Amino acid sequence: MLRAGALLTAGGATLPLTGCDLLDRDEPAPPPDPLEPLAGEARELAARHRAAVAADPGLADRLTPIADAHAAHAEEIQRLIGRPVPSGSPAPGASGPAGDRDELLAGLRAAEQRGRESAAKACAAAPAERAAVLGSIAAARATHVEVLK
Amino acid sequence: MIRRQAPADPAQALAAALTAEYAAIFAYGPIGVRLTDAARRDARAAEAAHRARRDALVLQLSAGGGQVPADRAGYALPYPVTDRAAALRLAVEIEERTAAFWRAALPVTTGADRTRALNALTDCAVRATRWRRTARMSPLTIAFPGRPA
Repeated sequence: MLRAGALLTAGGATLPLTGCDLLDRDEPAPPPDPLEPLAGEARELAARHRAAVAADPGLADRLTPIADAHAAHAEEIQRLIGRPVPSGSPAPGASGPAGDRDELLAGLRAAEQRGRESAAKACAAAPAERAAVLGSIAAARATHVEVLK
Repeated sequence: MIRRQAPADPAQALAAALTAEYAAIFAYGPIGVRLTDAARRDARAAEAAHRARRDALVLQLSAGGGQVPADRAGYALPYPVTDRAAALRLAVEIEERTAAFWRAALPVTTGADRTRALNALTDCAVRATRWRRTARMSPLTIAFPGRPA
Protein backbone atom coordinates (compact mmCIF):
# COMPACT_ATOMS: atom_id res chain seq x y z
CA MET A 1 0.00 0.00 0.00
CA LEU A 2 2.73 2.36 1.03
CA ARG A 3 4.68 1.64 -2.16
CA ALA A 4 1.67 2.12 -4.41
CA GLY A 5 0.88 5.42 -2.71
CA ALA A 6 4.45 6.64 -3.11
CA LEU A 7 4.40 5.75 -6.79
CA LEU A 8 1.19 7.62 -7.38
CA THR A 9 2.55 10.70 -5.69
CA ALA A 10 5.77 10.58 -7.67
CA GLY A 11 3.84 10.09 -10.88
CA GLY A 12 1.58 12.99 -10.17
CA ALA A 13 4.51 15.24 -9.38
CA THR A 14 6.32 14.53 -12.64
CA LEU A 15 3.36 14.83 -15.01
CA PRO A 16 2.40 18.46 -15.53
CA LEU A 17 -0.30 17.64 -18.02
CA THR A 18 -1.28 21.11 -19.14
CA GLY A 19 2.32 22.15 -19.71
CA CYS A 20 2.94 19.06 -21.81
CA ASP A 21 -0.02 19.81 -24.00
CA LEU A 22 1.17 23.35 -24.61
CA LEU A 23 4.68 22.18 -25.55
CA ASP A 24 3.34 19.62 -28.00
CA ARG A 25 1.44 22.27 -29.90
CA ASP A 26 4.36 24.68 -30.09
CA GLU A 27 7.02 22.13 -30.97
CA PRO A 28 9.03 23.43 -33.94
CA ALA A 29 9.71 21.18 -36.94
CA PRO A 30 12.88 19.12 -36.29
CA PRO A 31 15.99 20.34 -38.14
CA PRO A 32 16.71 18.53 -41.40
CA ASP A 33 18.81 15.39 -40.96
CA PRO A 34 22.26 15.53 -42.63
CA LEU A 35 21.34 12.30 -44.44
CA GLU A 36 18.30 13.77 -46.24
CA PRO A 37 20.34 14.64 -49.39
CA LEU A 38 21.80 11.12 -49.50
CA ALA A 39 18.32 9.57 -49.26
CA GLY A 40 17.16 11.85 -52.08
CA GLU A 41 20.18 10.88 -54.17
CA ALA A 42 19.41 7.17 -53.66
CA ARG A 43 15.81 7.69 -54.82
CA GLU A 44 17.06 9.68 -57.80
CA LEU A 45 19.59 6.98 -58.77
CA ALA A 46 16.90 4.28 -58.54
CA ALA A 47 14.66 6.36 -60.83
CA ARG A 48 17.51 6.98 -63.31
CA HIS A 49 18.20 3.28 -63.69
CA ARG A 50 14.49 2.50 -64.10
CA ALA A 51 14.17 5.23 -66.73
CA ALA A 52 17.18 3.79 -68.56
CA VAL A 53 15.56 0.32 -68.59
CA ALA A 54 12.36 1.87 -69.94
CA ALA A 55 14.35 3.56 -72.73
CA ASP A 56 16.44 0.46 -73.53
CA PRO A 57 14.80 -2.75 -72.25
CA GLY A 58 17.89 -4.73 -73.30
CA LEU A 59 19.61 -3.28 -70.23
CA ALA A 60 17.03 -4.68 -67.79
CA ASP A 61 19.14 -7.62 -66.56
CA ARG A 62 22.05 -5.36 -65.82
CA LEU A 63 20.29 -2.33 -64.37
CA THR A 64 17.26 -3.67 -62.51
CA PRO A 65 19.31 -5.15 -59.62
CA ILE A 66 21.10 -1.80 -59.34
CA ALA A 67 17.81 0.12 -59.26
CA ASP A 68 16.56 -2.27 -56.56
CA ALA A 69 19.74 -1.71 -54.54
CA HIS A 70 19.25 2.06 -54.65
CA ALA A 71 15.64 1.69 -53.53
CA ALA A 72 16.82 -0.50 -50.63
CA HIS A 73 19.47 2.11 -49.77
CA ALA A 74 16.88 4.90 -49.76
CA GLU A 75 14.71 2.87 -47.40
CA GLU A 76 17.63 2.10 -45.08
CA ILE A 77 18.79 5.74 -44.98
CA GLN A 78 15.22 6.84 -44.24
CA ARG A 79 15.16 4.30 -41.40
CA LEU A 80 18.36 5.87 -39.98
CA ILE A 81 16.78 9.32 -40.24
CA GLY A 82 13.79 7.94 -38.36
CA ARG A 83 11.19 9.92 -40.29
CA PRO A 84 9.22 9.19 -43.44
CA VAL A 85 10.14 10.94 -46.69
CA PRO A 86 9.12 14.63 -46.37
CA SER A 87 5.90 15.26 -48.29
CA GLY A 88 7.41 18.19 -50.21
CA SER A 89 10.18 16.04 -51.75
CA PRO A 90 10.23 16.17 -55.53
CA ALA A 91 9.33 12.91 -57.25
CA PRO A 92 12.55 11.91 -59.00
CA GLY A 93 12.96 10.62 -62.53
CA ALA A 94 10.69 12.99 -64.41
CA SER A 95 13.04 13.49 -67.37
CA GLY A 96 13.76 10.50 -69.59
CA PRO A 97 17.33 9.74 -70.61
CA ALA A 98 18.53 10.69 -74.07
CA GLY A 99 21.12 9.20 -76.41
CA ASP A 100 22.29 5.73 -77.39
CA ARG A 101 23.21 2.90 -75.06
CA ASP A 102 26.82 4.01 -74.61
CA GLU A 103 25.76 7.52 -73.66
CA LEU A 104 23.12 6.14 -71.35
CA LEU A 105 25.63 3.94 -69.53
CA ALA A 106 28.24 6.72 -69.39
CA GLY A 107 25.69 9.02 -67.75
CA LEU A 108 24.75 6.37 -65.19
CA ARG A 109 28.40 5.62 -64.50
CA ALA A 110 29.15 9.29 -63.80
CA ALA A 111 26.11 9.51 -61.53
CA GLU A 112 27.23 6.39 -59.60
CA GLN A 113 30.72 7.82 -59.24
CA ARG A 114 29.33 11.05 -57.76
CA GLY A 115 27.04 8.97 -55.56
CA ARG A 116 29.96 6.91 -54.33
CA GLU A 117 31.79 10.07 -53.30
CA SER A 118 28.82 11.56 -51.47
CA ALA A 119 28.19 8.29 -49.61
CA ALA A 120 31.88 8.05 -48.65
CA LYS A 121 31.76 11.62 -47.31
CA ALA A 122 28.60 10.84 -45.35
CA CYS A 123 30.25 7.70 -43.92
CA ALA A 124 33.34 9.66 -42.84
CA ALA A 125 31.23 12.27 -41.04
CA ALA A 126 28.67 9.89 -39.53
CA PRO A 127 28.26 8.88 -35.90
CA ALA A 128 29.20 5.26 -35.11
CA GLU A 129 25.67 3.87 -35.38
CA ARG A 130 25.34 5.07 -39.00
CA ALA A 131 28.85 4.34 -40.29
CA ALA A 132 28.40 0.70 -41.31
CA VAL A 133 25.26 1.22 -43.40
CA LEU A 134 26.73 4.28 -45.13
CA GLY A 135 29.97 2.36 -45.79
CA SER A 136 28.02 -0.47 -47.42
CA ILE A 137 26.16 2.06 -49.57
CA ALA A 138 29.42 3.72 -50.71
CA ALA A 139 30.89 0.29 -51.52
CA ALA A 140 27.74 -0.77 -53.39
CA ARG A 141 27.88 2.36 -55.55
CA ALA A 142 31.52 1.55 -56.37
CA THR A 143 30.43 -1.91 -57.55
CA HIS A 144 27.77 -0.23 -59.73
CA VAL A 145 30.49 1.84 -61.41
CA GLU A 146 32.28 -1.45 -62.09
CA VAL A 147 29.20 -3.09 -63.62
CA LEU A 148 28.56 -0.07 -65.86
CA LYS A 149 32.08 -0.14 -67.33
CA MET B 1 32.82 -18.21 -40.88
CA ILE B 2 32.18 -14.52 -40.22
CA ARG B 3 32.78 -13.47 -36.65
CA ARG B 4 29.43 -12.33 -35.30
CA GLN B 5 30.67 -10.41 -32.29
CA ALA B 6 31.12 -6.72 -33.05
CA PRO B 7 34.58 -5.33 -32.21
CA ALA B 8 34.67 -3.02 -29.19
CA ASP B 9 37.50 -0.67 -30.21
CA PRO B 10 39.71 0.19 -33.20
CA ALA B 11 42.58 -2.09 -32.17
CA GLN B 12 40.24 -5.08 -31.86
CA ALA B 13 38.56 -4.29 -35.20
CA LEU B 14 41.86 -3.89 -37.03
CA ALA B 15 43.27 -7.07 -35.45
CA ALA B 16 40.18 -8.94 -36.68
CA ALA B 17 40.59 -7.40 -40.15
CA LEU B 18 44.22 -8.57 -40.12
CA THR B 19 43.20 -12.18 -39.46
CA ALA B 20 40.74 -11.91 -42.36
CA GLU B 21 43.52 -10.59 -44.62
CA TYR B 22 45.77 -13.51 -43.60
CA ALA B 23 43.03 -15.97 -44.52
CA ALA B 24 42.36 -14.19 -47.85
CA ILE B 25 46.05 -14.31 -48.81
CA PHE B 26 46.12 -18.01 -47.94
CA ALA B 27 42.99 -18.76 -49.97
CA TYR B 28 44.28 -17.08 -53.12
CA GLY B 29 47.00 -19.76 -53.29
CA PRO B 30 44.65 -22.68 -54.06
CA ILE B 31 42.39 -20.30 -56.03
CA GLY B 32 45.18 -19.19 -58.37
CA VAL B 33 46.23 -22.77 -59.09
CA ARG B 34 42.82 -23.52 -60.63
CA LEU B 35 42.70 -20.40 -62.82
CA THR B 36 44.40 -19.53 -66.10
CA ASP B 37 45.27 -16.46 -68.14
CA ALA B 38 43.43 -13.25 -67.21
CA ALA B 39 41.66 -14.84 -64.24
CA ARG B 40 44.96 -16.06 -62.82
CA ARG B 41 46.43 -12.58 -63.23
CA ASP B 42 43.39 -11.15 -61.43
CA ALA B 43 43.95 -13.61 -58.58
CA ARG B 44 47.59 -12.55 -58.31
CA ALA B 45 46.58 -8.88 -58.26
CA ALA B 46 43.93 -9.56 -55.62
CA GLU B 47 46.42 -11.46 -53.49
CA ALA B 48 48.90 -8.58 -53.79
CA ALA B 49 46.21 -6.13 -52.70
CA HIS B 50 45.45 -8.24 -49.61
CA ARG B 51 49.18 -8.48 -48.84
CA ALA B 52 49.43 -4.68 -48.99
CA ARG B 53 46.54 -4.34 -46.52
CA ARG B 54 48.12 -6.95 -44.28
CA ASP B 55 51.46 -5.15 -44.24
CA ALA B 56 49.82 -1.81 -43.48
CA LEU B 57 47.82 -3.36 -40.64
CA VAL B 58 50.86 -5.08 -39.10
CA LEU B 59 52.75 -1.78 -39.16
CA GLN B 60 49.85 0.17 -37.71
CA LEU B 61 49.06 -2.31 -34.94
CA SER B 62 52.76 -2.64 -34.02
CA ALA B 63 53.17 1.13 -33.89
CA GLY B 64 50.12 1.35 -31.64
CA GLY B 65 51.77 -1.05 -29.21
CA GLY B 66 48.80 -3.39 -29.32
CA GLN B 67 48.54 -7.10 -29.92
CA VAL B 68 49.38 -8.12 -33.48
CA PRO B 69 47.71 -11.46 -34.22
CA ALA B 70 50.09 -13.93 -35.83
CA ASP B 71 49.54 -15.56 -39.18
CA ARG B 72 48.81 -19.28 -39.15
CA ALA B 73 50.43 -21.96 -41.27
CA GLY B 74 47.11 -22.83 -42.85
CA TYR B 75 43.43 -21.94 -42.88
CA ALA B 76 40.50 -24.29 -43.29
CA LEU B 77 38.81 -23.77 -46.64
CA PRO B 78 35.02 -24.21 -46.72
CA TYR B 79 35.29 -26.79 -49.53
CA PRO B 80 38.02 -28.32 -51.69
CA VAL B 81 39.09 -26.10 -54.57
CA THR B 82 39.21 -28.75 -57.27
CA ASP B 83 38.31 -26.77 -60.40
CA ARG B 84 37.80 -23.32 -61.91
CA ALA B 85 34.18 -23.02 -60.76
CA ALA B 86 35.08 -23.76 -57.14
CA ALA B 87 38.03 -21.35 -57.33
CA LEU B 88 35.83 -18.50 -58.57
CA ARG B 89 33.14 -19.26 -56.00
CA LEU B 90 35.71 -19.21 -53.21
CA ALA B 91 37.20 -15.96 -54.53
CA VAL B 92 33.78 -14.31 -54.31
CA GLU B 93 33.25 -15.66 -50.81
CA ILE B 94 36.70 -14.60 -49.61
CA GLU B 95 36.12 -11.05 -50.78
CA GLU B 96 32.66 -10.93 -49.19
CA ARG B 97 34.04 -12.31 -45.94
CA THR B 98 36.93 -9.85 -45.82
CA ALA B 99 34.53 -7.01 -46.65
CA ALA B 100 32.48 -7.93 -43.56
CA PHE B 101 35.49 -7.50 -41.26
CA TRP B 102 36.32 -4.09 -42.70
CA ARG B 103 32.71 -3.02 -42.45
CA ALA B 104 32.72 -4.01 -38.78
CA ALA B 105 35.66 -1.63 -38.29
CA LEU B 106 33.68 1.42 -39.50
CA PRO B 107 31.60 2.12 -36.37
CA VAL B 108 34.58 1.87 -33.99
CA THR B 109 36.97 4.02 -36.04
CA THR B 110 37.07 7.70 -37.00
CA GLY B 111 39.08 9.93 -39.32
CA ALA B 112 41.88 8.33 -41.35
CA ASP B 113 41.25 4.89 -39.82
CA ARG B 114 37.63 4.92 -40.93
CA THR B 115 38.61 6.13 -44.41
CA ARG B 116 41.10 3.26 -44.72
CA ALA B 117 38.48 0.77 -43.54
CA LEU B 118 35.98 2.12 -46.08
CA ASN B 119 38.56 1.93 -48.88
CA ALA B 120 39.31 -1.68 -47.95
CA LEU B 121 35.60 -2.58 -47.77
CA THR B 122 35.06 -0.95 -51.17
CA ASP B 123 38.01 -2.73 -52.79
CA CYS B 124 36.76 -6.12 -51.51
CA ALA B 125 33.26 -5.39 -52.79
CA VAL B 126 34.54 -4.38 -56.24
CA ARG B 127 36.73 -7.49 -56.48
CA ALA B 128 33.75 -9.67 -55.47
CA THR B 129 31.77 -8.08 -58.31
CA ARG B 130 34.61 -8.72 -60.80
CA TRP B 131 34.83 -12.37 -59.71
CA ARG B 132 31.07 -12.75 -60.11
CA ARG B 133 31.41 -11.38 -63.63
CA THR B 134 34.28 -13.79 -64.42
CA ALA B 135 32.15 -16.66 -63.09
CA ARG B 136 29.10 -15.39 -65.03
CA MET B 137 27.08 -15.20 -61.84
CA SER B 138 23.97 -13.08 -61.64
CA PRO B 139 23.36 -10.56 -60.21
CA LEU B 140 26.85 -9.07 -60.18
CA THR B 141 26.24 -6.89 -57.15
CA ILE B 142 24.66 -7.06 -53.71
CA ALA B 143 22.84 -4.16 -52.07
CA PHE B 144 24.86 -3.97 -48.83
CA PRO B 145 28.42 -5.30 -49.27
CA GLY B 146 29.88 -6.59 -46.02
CA ARG B 147 26.59 -6.72 -44.15
CA PRO B 148 26.16 -10.03 -42.33
CA ALA B 149 23.41 -12.10 -43.93
